[in-house]
Amino acid sequence: MHSFGYRANAVVTFAVTILAVMCGMASLSDNFNSPSPTADVKVLNINWFQKQPNGNDEVSLTLNISADLSSLFTWNTKQVFVFLAAEYETPQNALNQVSLWDGIIQSKEHAKFWIHTTNKYRFTDQGNNLRGKDFNLTLHWHIMPKTGKMFADKIVMTGYSLPEEYR
Amino acid sequence: MDWQGQKRAEILMQIMLVVSAVAAFGVGYTIGSFRTMMLAYAGGVVLTTLITVPNWPFFNRHPLKWLDPSEAERHPKPHVNSAAASSKKKAAKHK
Repeated sequence: MHSFGYRANAVVTFAVTILAVMCGMASLSDNFNSPSPTADVKVLNINWFQKQPNGNDEVSLTLNISADLSSLFTWNTKQVFVFLAAEYETPQNALNQVSLWDGIIQSKEHAKFWIHTTNKYRFTDQGNNLRGKDFNLTLHWHIMPKTGKMFADKIVMTGYSLPEEYR
Repeated sequence: MDWQGQKRAEILMQIMLVVSAVAAFGVGYTIGSFRTMMLAYAGGVVLTTLITVPNWPFFNRHPLKWLDPSEAERHPKPHVNSAAASSKKKAAKHK
């Protein structure tokens, strides 16, 4: 019974079992990382703000997004997906989230970034509630590990508001 | 591979895999490189395979000493009946 094939099989199965344990430990080691990310977004300009023919408000913004997410990266991090959402309250919905910009950060070297951009995706309301509306800009991120558990967190930035009139 | 060789191969395989896993994890975590951990462990698995899978002479140092046939003929087993004898032969074959 103790043939070449039997021993090869035993090596492979035991090696793969240990590999699974190692990957589990690598995922657990992510919990020792306590990140301290920072983010800052400035609304430089409201390019236009109008009511669409179908009655929904739409606004175009010029944004300056700067963030330092390098502390999110550990040895087990493959990439970080980051997106900026405008969040506000309307009579119909307690929370509206509109994604304005997103990006994928592939390495720690690119995790400290600064970008000057208009909103990548349309900032459109379901209705016409945006005039004079106070809103939050929230930077959300999802950490995608090489193995194991995904983490997600966010930074909420408050104190943004839209003008009272269309322009 | 003889009996003691089999036992030795089995234990050696388990120890080598566990040691290479611990070493790979330690190195990978210390220098912060997942890739290094995987490569180090892969190296350990290949080395373990090369050492414990082929039937090296190292595993054949304790050959079984079978009774010499002429010695066995001089001390024949008592025949109780033919059925018992045939089943004993089968058992002997299985060894």
